[in-house]
Amino acid sequence: MKLALNTLKTLGLSLVLASTFIAQPVLANGPIGEHVNHLKENLKDYSEDVEWMIGKVDTMVTDYETKGAKAVKSDDLIEFWESVKFHSAIETNYVPVYASIWQGIYGVKMAIDDKKPASEVREHQKALNAALWQGLGAVKLAADFQQKGLLKAVKATASETMTQSATIDEIKHKLDRVVAKYAERLSDEATQIVHDTYLHLFEGVEGTLIEKDAKLVEVLEKDFNVTLPKAISDKSTVDQVRAVVVDMQEKLDRAKVLLEEAEKARKDVF
Amino acid sequence: MKRRTFIQGLAAFGVVGAMPLPLSRAFAATAASPISVNDLPALEGDLTLYLGRGEGGLYENVLQSIQKKNPKLNLSIRRGPTAALANMIVAEAKAGVKRADLFWAVDSGAIGLVTDAGLAKALPSDLEAQLQPQFRYPGWAPVTGRIRTLPYNTKRLSKDQIPDSIMAIADSDLSIGWAPAYASFQSFVTAMRILEGDDKTAKWLKKVQKRSKTYAGELGVVMAVERGEVDIGFANHYYTLRLKSGKPDANLDLAFTNQDAGCLVNASGVLSLTDNPNAMNFMRYLLSAEVQSYLAREAYEIPLIQGIDQPAGLPALTDVSPPKIDLTQLADLRPTLDLMRSSGVL
Repeated sequence: MKLALNTLKTLGLSLVLASTFIAQPVLANGPIGEHVNHLKENLKDYSEDVEWMIGKVDTMVTDYETKGAKAVKSDDLIEFWESVKFHSAIETNYVPVYASIWQGIYGVKMAIDDKKPASEVREHQKALNAALWQGLGAVKLAADFQQKGLLKAVKATASETMTQSATIDEIKHKLDRVVAKYAERLSDEATQIVHDTYLHLFEGVEGTLIEKDAKLVEVLEKDFNVTLPKAISDKSTVDQVRAVVVDMQEKLDRAKVLLEEAEKARKDVF
Repeated sequence: MKRRTFIQGLAAFGVVGAMPLPLSRAFAATAASPISVNDLPALEGDLTLYLGRGEGGLYENVLQSIQKKNPKLNLSIRRGPTAALANMIVAEAKAGVKRADLFWAVDSGAIGLVTDAGLAKALPSDLEAQLQPQFRYPGWAPVTGRIRTLPYNTKRLSKDQIPDSIMAIADSDLSIGWAPAYASFQSFVTAMRILEGDDKTAKWLKKVQKRSKTYAGELGVVMAVERGEVDIGFANHYYTLRLKSGKPDANLDLAFTNQDAGCLVNASGVLSLTDNPNAMNFMRYLLSAEVQSYLAREAYEIPLIQGIDQPAGLPALTDVSPPKIDLTQLADLRPTLDLMRSSGVL
């Protein structure tokens, strides 16, 4: 129970942070639509989207199981997912689950394309279904946050004050997007996010950070410029890329503590 | 080493470079004394600022302090990458829209884009007089400076083994760290193009590339120098100061070239786009003694007004001679990127 509560708290915090730092109104698969600023009113549609998606995937896997690979078009899985409104609701609110959904979709697709046994395809389908339900739960929670005014509207520009420690939260969020884009098989876009995050965000805090812990900066420099881009270019699994990102996010948590200490110790301007 | 001596060094080769040295010194001394925020007018009413990101949050602290001191100021801020905001200001002006009263950019190249479009308001003389003479421009005020340096590994080299000419470094046998994708490096290459011409710059890039190791950013360059991966690097001064602050025994020191792009002093800057009186008064706050001292102390940036101590740890700069260059010319980035691409550097 305690674990569930902690998970909920973490999810809630992630939702708030994610919404705070979303700066792009247009994502990879087109405009996100105003509905993401009215989650509560659209929850019924999102639930129907999830059930429709799960049904479509199940039909495809059943056809594969009973009629063989020629009977199905695995590319349809991507079209199904990109056609639902729920897609952008989860992309704008909880990127880690969004990544898991893409991972599940490609898990099913690749297993079909590689003519794996139906039981193996079913395993990927199970993981995809779990991610979709988890995503719906996250969007429902986000809708509650939004109703209470705790979730900010998706905006075209960053307008909030960005302290150095808050920048760390944005960096962590961008790294979640790296996993999502990699899971979506958009490796170039994932690499570009790594590069931009380093140049436009991490570069802005590492000056202060290096005064506090030069070794930590050195390790993160390597992560941003070698380890993570290499994991992507080496065509590692999504789980391997996610592991690199999780490791970086843990280091960034340490960095955030140091930056908060530096912010507290900093004298006033006047 | 007093800051005054440094400024005299800058002045000797800056805008007043053609003057006899004593006259340059006399001119440098004409800058007005720094003004405290306590002597500035209160800011009241609306003000829209476009703020270029990149300084890592310290400008935010300045803004918060100004806002706190002026509770009747209704400050709206649009944040974004400096170059994108400069383009946005020009595009908005073309569309007949003026949203920003003020633009605070982290580099002077972006300032040049806006001033070239004729959108900047002239600075009042008292505000201009706050600045060192070599940093006075009609339509914008440099806020703080940064100087290009050659960080070097003190275990591998002594300072006298490093050429004092940026062009000569291409013919040396030193291994080099650089970050060609980094904006400050590209401004430095632009300065080289302006000073030396495209042909010489292209040859320099190709020669250096053969012995260089590429890093994403300039702190990465400085850290690589300190580790001994390369002998020297090309980087802004503050990275070395910050690293030495966190690691006092670092195998690292700074060298400077002489009167060339290798020791370019570039600046962040601010300009007014409207006649809103808050805009010019806000600029006065940025040039106040308190803000200049804060940015020198916390961001290791070089204050550009008279009488403020330079950042701690900046070595003696009596011999440093920055090139004579109009910083707004650094806006001409496209030919630089073309040249870097055709040279195979980008």
